[in-house]
Amino acid sequence: MELLAADLHIHSVLSPCGELSMSPRAIVARAVEVGIQVVALTDHNSARNAPALAAAAQAAGLCALFGLEVRSAEEVDVLTLFDTPADALAYGDWVHAALPSVPCDPALFGDQVVVDGEDEILGFEPHLLINAIEQPLDAVCAEARRRGALVLLAHVDRPANSVLSQLGFMPDDLPVDGVELSRFGDEDRLRAEHPALGGLPVVRFSDAHRPGEIGYQQTQFEVAAAGVTEFRAALEGRGGRRAVPVRRALA
Amino acid sequence: MTVAELGAALGLTPCTPVSDREVTGAIVSDLLSDVLANGAPDYVWITIQTHRNVAAVASAQGLAAVILTAGRAPNEDLVSLAETESVTVFTSLQPTYTVAGLLYGLGVR
Repeated sequence: MELLAADLHIHSVLSPCGELSMSPRAIVARAVEVGIQVVALTDHNSARNAPALAAAAQAAGLCALFGLEVRSAEEVDVLTLFDTPADALAYGDWVHAALPSVPCDPALFGDQVVVDGEDEILGFEPHLLINAIEQPLDAVCAEARRRGALVLLAHVDRPANSVLSQLGFMPDDLPVDGVELSRFGDEDRLRAEHPALGGLPVVRFSDAHRPGEIGYQQTQFEVAAAGVTEFRAALEGRGGRRAVPVRRALA
Repeated sequence: MTVAELGAALGLTPCTPVSDREVTGAIVSDLLSDVLANGAPDYVWITIQTHRNVAAVASAQGLAAVILTAGRAPNEDLVSLAETESVTVFTSLQPTYTVAGLLYGLGVR
């Protein structure tokens, strides 16, 4: 067993809200600098920068997962994390098929840049990625799970785009592995207000949109190796594995 | 009816400079994706959402004004983007239903 510091909620230049400095290579460099051992890209409704992360992480000897932050029809954000870029891209195709064809005006929303592992620009995603896809929350979660993803409800304490802000309650039958807290969130208060969370584990990740935010929230996984199966076991506390959410001061 | 006339008639509190744009209709929604699909130029949008993307969506759809209801205050970045994009943002202490009813009564259909 080893203790791995993971930040699995990071936005790259592909997210309109992500800073242009957030290339996968820069994300990997910053993660190494702050002691993060496992990173994941979770751009809004797209995994098109997953291959770039794979290349950049491999070059730096860093472990990576490949994800999307999907916005359901109810405008609930869901983190879906896969072991391989191919799995993330395939699920991304399913997401893209349900994404409305609304163009992204970069002046209003920001650029949506597809890059490679060397920071070379490959193109721009034309459709507005922060739009909601035309699939309900339960389908978003179930389809990701069916394809082998670790599924986490994002920033559940936030007043917008969280399951609690959009639905007002925690459904008891969602196929998810846990819930993420933002830096404003308090686990004891959350559980007191929403007993329906039951035994669902809590994680913390940075939701970084700029390099300085990477790793200031993280979850430390005591596991045999990095990966969806091991992380799920850690969240469930099986086989001597465990997960510990950590919140640090923002630099 | 212009944005300025509408604001005065409903007793709304402006958060940005108030325009004289002519209002052609209205939409009530708290889902940004709904406004992206069904908003139209020179509409007024009534919502409880208060974050930056409200201004981005309003501008993208060419809306004339946004009314934030139920006493909700806009985030600072919503106000600054709305000013840049010349979208008037008002707040109201009244709930969405009441604001929409009053607007309808004023002839915005």
